[in-house]
Amino acid sequence: MKKWSNFFVGWIFFCLLTGCATHRAKRDLIVLLPDPDGKVGTITVTTNGGSQIVDKPGYATEIEDLNKAPVAPKPVNEKEINEVFGPALSAQPDLSNRFLLFILYFEHNTTKLTHESKDLVLEVLRNIKSRKSSEVYVVGHTDLVGTEAYNIELSSKRASYVRDLLLSKGIKPGALFVSYYGKSRPLVPTKNEVPEPRNRRVEVIVR
Amino acid sequence: MKHTYSKTVVLSLAAFFFFLSTGGEVSPADASAPVAIVKKVSGSATVVRQGQTIPATKGLEIWENDTLRTGRNGSIGIVFNDDTFLSMGPGSILIIDEFVFAPRQGKFSIVIRMLKGTAAYLSGLISKLSPDSAHFKTPTASIGIRGTRFAAKVEEEQKRGASQSGDLGR
Repeated sequence: MKKWSNFFVGWIFFCLLTGCATHRAKRDLIVLLPDPDGKVGTITVTTNGGSQIVDKPGYATEIEDLNKAPVAPKPVNEKEINEVFGPALSAQPDLSNRFLLFILYFEHNTTKLTHESKDLVLEVLRNIKSRKSSEVYVVGHTDLVGTEAYNIELSSKRASYVRDLLLSKGIKPGALFVSYYGKSRPLVPTKNEVPEPRNRRVEVIVR
Repeated sequence: MKHTYSKTVVLSLAAFFFFLSTGGEVSPADASAPVAIVKKVSGSATVVRQGQTIPATKGLEIWENDTLRTGRNGSIGIVFNDDTFLSMGPGSILIIDEFVFAPRQGKFSIVIRMLKGTAAYLSGLISKLSPDSAHFKTPTASIGIRGTRFAAKVEEEQKRGASQSGDLGR
């Protein structure tokens, strides 16, 4: 009953605000949630009337009408998230066999791993072996300093460096899928030519 | 009366999409392999495939173009071949428009279309390896996904009168 009165109040409030035309109104709600490992991605919601980016966890955008732009993101309280999405969330499959994502970082302009990342390589290897993984993705990236061509080359070299490292430790070539994206996919969006250590990376995905 | 109206809308929508799925269009993608597996089912849930309605059970394979439906007390959770997780709450309808995961050929695509209800989505490898290739559509919007998790609620068409009775027809 409490659940319905929440919506009842919300709906009326909504109607009063917009002066509620007699046309039919739909209201879709899209909420961004954190990944199981705490990271947060981005969703871009586009209607005929415009686009809205949601990049903060627990924030949602509403769509009132397909010809109107989605509403600016607002936080949704956890109680409402559970009430509306409870059954869908509890039907989510078990996380335990999902892929693992590791990020290895590099010194500026080099194919040299940072000190911490050298240690992480050991953990990557440990997981590949314990899972007997035959599907490991190695994806190279750079930050936005330098030209596209330069960074395509650098990201390729970084990915190859990690690949060779894994091969040298006994990982089979057939298990590795190597790709690189230059400066086109920063983890942390920055303006062009802005150095950002968190973008100088190779992502290793282990299934 | 409100309730009956929304049932009619739902049934016509369902009939419309049911018809689309039997329209004889063959997907050009590799239609010869399943794209996901049912991991969790509760209550009433079905898969509609080429005109046939199949009860959803744990372990059931899901194919491109399948329509997933849950009843008033149903829920379902599936895992795609790229580790994308998709789950639905009660009273929901969702279609797997496209799914391609071929890393060797560099081909990636996931397009899911939600007609009504509630759903939760957790990105898999397609979103990680090819972020522009993952799309989730509702009747009003298209959602581009960059490696993440979100939940969507799609309401049926409502007349203004719905608010007074407090019945959202779900």
